Amino acid sequence: MAGLTRSFNLDTMCFSQLKRSLIVSIACVFSLMTLPNTVQAADPSKVIHAAFPAADDGFDMVRTANYYSAVIASSIQEPLLTYDYLARPAKLVPETAAAMPEVSDGGKTYVFHLQKSIYFAADPAFKGKKRELTAQDYAYTFKRFLDPKNHSPAASFLSGKILGMDEVVVNASKTGHFDYDAPVSGLETPDRYTLKITLKAADYNFLYVMAYSGFGAVAREVVEMYGAQIAQHPVGTGPYMLQKYLPRSKIVLVANPDFRSMTWDFKSTGDAWDNQLVHDMQGKKLPQVGRVEVDIIEEEQSRWLAFQGKQLDIAGLPPSIAPSAMSHGVLKPEFAKQGIQLFRSIEPEVTYTVLNYRDPVIGGHSLEKIALRRAIIMSYNTSDDLNILRMGQAVKAQMIIPAGVEGHDPSYRSSVRYDIGLANQLLDHFGYKRGTDGYRTLPNGKPLVLKITTEADSKSQVISEIWKHGLDAVGLHAEFPVSSFADNLKAATECKLMLWGGAWIADYPEGENFMQLLYGPNSNQGNNGCYNSPAFDALYVKAKSLPASAERNQLYVQMNRQVEADGAWLLGVSRVNNSLIRPWVKGYKKHPILASTWMYLDVEKH
Amino acid sequence: MTVYILRRLGQMIPTMLGVILLIFFLFSWVGGDPAYILAGKMPNPEQIANIRAQLGIDQPYYVQLWIFIKQILTFDFGMSWSTGESVSHVILTRLGPSLTILIPLTIIQTFFAIGLSLMIAFVRGSLTDRMVMVACTVGMSISILVYIIVFQYWFAYKLNIFPVQGWGESLGENLLHYSLLPILIMLVVSIAPSLRLYRTFVLDEINQDYVRTARAKGLGETRILWVHVLRNAAIPIITDVMSSLPALLIGAFLIERFFGIPGIGREVILAVERSDFPVIKAITVYVAAATMLFNLLADLMYQAVDPRVQLK
Repeated sequence: MAGLTRSFNLDTMCFSQLKRSLIVSIACVFSLMTLPNTVQAADPSKVIHAAFPAADDGFDMVRTANYYSAVIASSIQEPLLTYDYLARPAKLVPETAAAMPEVSDGGKTYVFHLQKSIYFAADPAFKGKKRELTAQDYAYTFKRFLDPKNHSPAASFLSGKILGMDEVVVNASKTGHFDYDAPVSGLETPDRYTLKITLKAADYNFLYVMAYSGFGAVAREVVEMYGAQIAQHPVGTGPYMLQKYLPRSKIVLVANPDFRSMTWDFKSTGDAWDNQLVHDMQGKKLPQVGRVEVDIIEEEQSRWLAFQGKQLDIAGLPPSIAPSAMSHGVLKPEFAKQGIQLFRSIEPEVTYTVLNYRDPVIGGHSLEKIALRRAIIMSYNTSDDLNILRMGQAVKAQMIIPAGVEGHDPSYRSSVRYDIGLANQLLDHFGYKRGTDGYRTLPNGKPLVLKITTEADSKSQVISEIWKHGLDAVGLHAEFPVSSFADNLKAATECKLMLWGGAWIADYPEGENFMQLLYGPNSNQGNNGCYNSPAFDALYVKAKSLPASAERNQLYVQMNRQVEADGAWLLGVSRVNNSLIRPWVKGYKKHPILASTWMYLDVEKH
Repeated sequence: MTVYILRRLGQMIPTMLGVILLIFFLFSWVGGDPAYILAGKMPNPEQIANIRAQLGIDQPYYVQLWIFIKQILTFDFGMSWSTGESVSHVILTRLGPSLTILIPLTIIQTFFAIGLSLMIAFVRGSLTDRMVMVACTVGMSISILVYIIVFQYWFAYKLNIFPVQGWGESLGENLLHYSLLPILIMLVVSIAPSLRLYRTFVLDEINQDYVRTARAKGLGETRILWVHVLRNAAIPIITDVMSSLPALLIGAFLIERFFGIPGIGREVILAVERSDFPVIKAITVYVAAATMLFNLLADLMYQAVDPRVQLK
């Protein structure tokens, strides 16, 4: 009896266990059915400590173009497209899109199909329900950038491009209310997961625009709930969520538990660095890092000491510190011994000085003015700029389109160089005579005074010294008015500055992004030198009508030569980025365009 | 007393109006046009015009001035143009970290400077007095930037006594961990001028007849210094301390920047860099108001420490 009872009990237990297992299995299957793509890979104990050298401006990318805001926002909100982590030059790949879009109508129509079952991170705005990403979210996101009330600094990426949108924007300007529900013929969502964008004219760079880090999807109910505070409450479908935000001080991200399953799967470009990355990371679920802590440390000494004190895992090496940490591009032994790695890359940017084409002293198309501008350009010693100002952490830019950007020709060599002798000969030849004070006058005998506008900072001071040294040698008298950046930008936009220095970093890796700065019709909106060359403009229009090709690249080369011949820009340098990485950080490679790459990293126990 | 306070408060109104006009026209004329910064990299004239309209800076000056006055009266300066945060939130959240450093600093510095000045004045002309004065002169001649760089490198990085930089969430952690080195540096920098100034105040008193009388009556030197001399030297000291208090509202820019402290000083500089007028205007108005209020408070304190002072 006892045996029977025990047997019965055992059977009961087995049945009970079986039933429990069955329930658990059904629950698992059910949860997998409802959340088929969600697998939490991130380990909360894996923490990346990083630093920003400047403060963010909140995380509503509609309202800011701040790079550090974009780094955080793009960790939280995802655009339709992104870039392959390892491929160079940068290559577009789908992000939330299921595949690259169908492009038709000669580059005017783009149809994106979204991946299904991508969910926003939980937020009170969703009232406890899971919120799936839909095509409508992207339509809403793009409209926010064009809403006049938001005066978005990134509006120019979309403004005037989407069919039927101008009418809605004009109406919003008149009424003060942007109708987000008004149908737009060029921005359609035929179903929950399909977004169809029709442009007014073909734009072969539109896919790059779709990968802009600020175009991460936002949910309308989140924006409406947080209102003016939306910049402090970013919610998205990306790998991270904002856990803590102390403005101007600290930002803490934690892995999004609702992030879809992704695997580190990139192909090496063949170099040793990439091979090591593939070895360390291939096949790992993303993200591995469960927590990212970012400190805002503006001062170089503070950042450098924080890195040396192991408060930071990754740090950019500022040029002023570079000589103490590296020699001839190689990390010094005391740092290499600690296992610290150095990753060097040339930024996709150029520095330049505009020479105002509308200026009564140096502007215009006449030969004597072109000669004057070319002499000015030849008097600037870029080597001094590289060695004194950049501490060797830059390379001379040969071409307006920098390395890493489509259209850059590594074999291209600028026809303009630092040459005091030639500059003097040129000025002598065109009748710029020296007066008793050693400075030259205009050919008509009137005074010749250059005004090189600067800002009140140490960098501008060094640049002014380099200018003064060279211009004195060719007998050109220069003044250096100092003003705030805001005032200078306004004056430059209105074509009122004679000479002014600037820098341009690629929004997307395509040459047109740089050439637009010299296109005549862009005067008063980016073309701050108001350069106006019919030859250049004709080449620009032709290049814009072509897809990426050798033919288009050849046009870019011709445009470069035209700018050199006209003396419209003094081309400066492209800065070198030196990233220092602690040995326990795996998977790091600086991307030229992607703002945030923390999701591709791993941290070993240390 | 009440009538005096009310009259002084009434006198503040025209002063404040003057300050408002000065701030408004100063920033309107020389403050730069924020629309060009906010417009992004490739703005067209329509976008610039739209931003100017959104910010209200396309309105006639008298309209903008009236809006500014309404903002002051309602204590609502609107939103920061660069971050979209409300200005009151910006000021309230950034003021705390600055005060965490500056209030202890002001207290410590005042007590140290008073105590040392009394002691130094007591041994006036001695080797100690001269050495302290030389040290003060040398200390005052060195820029705060040098102190920051050297102290941060040695005490924080090399000796690891303090954190290199950072800021926490709790007051205790910030006060006892992150603030110590910044306070030490600012104390070293600020103690020398205060010490020299207070020493002068004390020396003015120490040769007065009442001191000689007190000594004749047999009072101890400690009592003479800490009670009689200090009370009489207190009025210029109060003036000095009170005049420095409004500066608490504008923080300590360099210290905050080097030590990653999210204070009001950094915010002011960022606001200036970004032409963020709502933030700049609000802080300027608050500093002006604080200056007037602390001046009034100083006058009231004069009477408290010296009953001979009559408030009329």
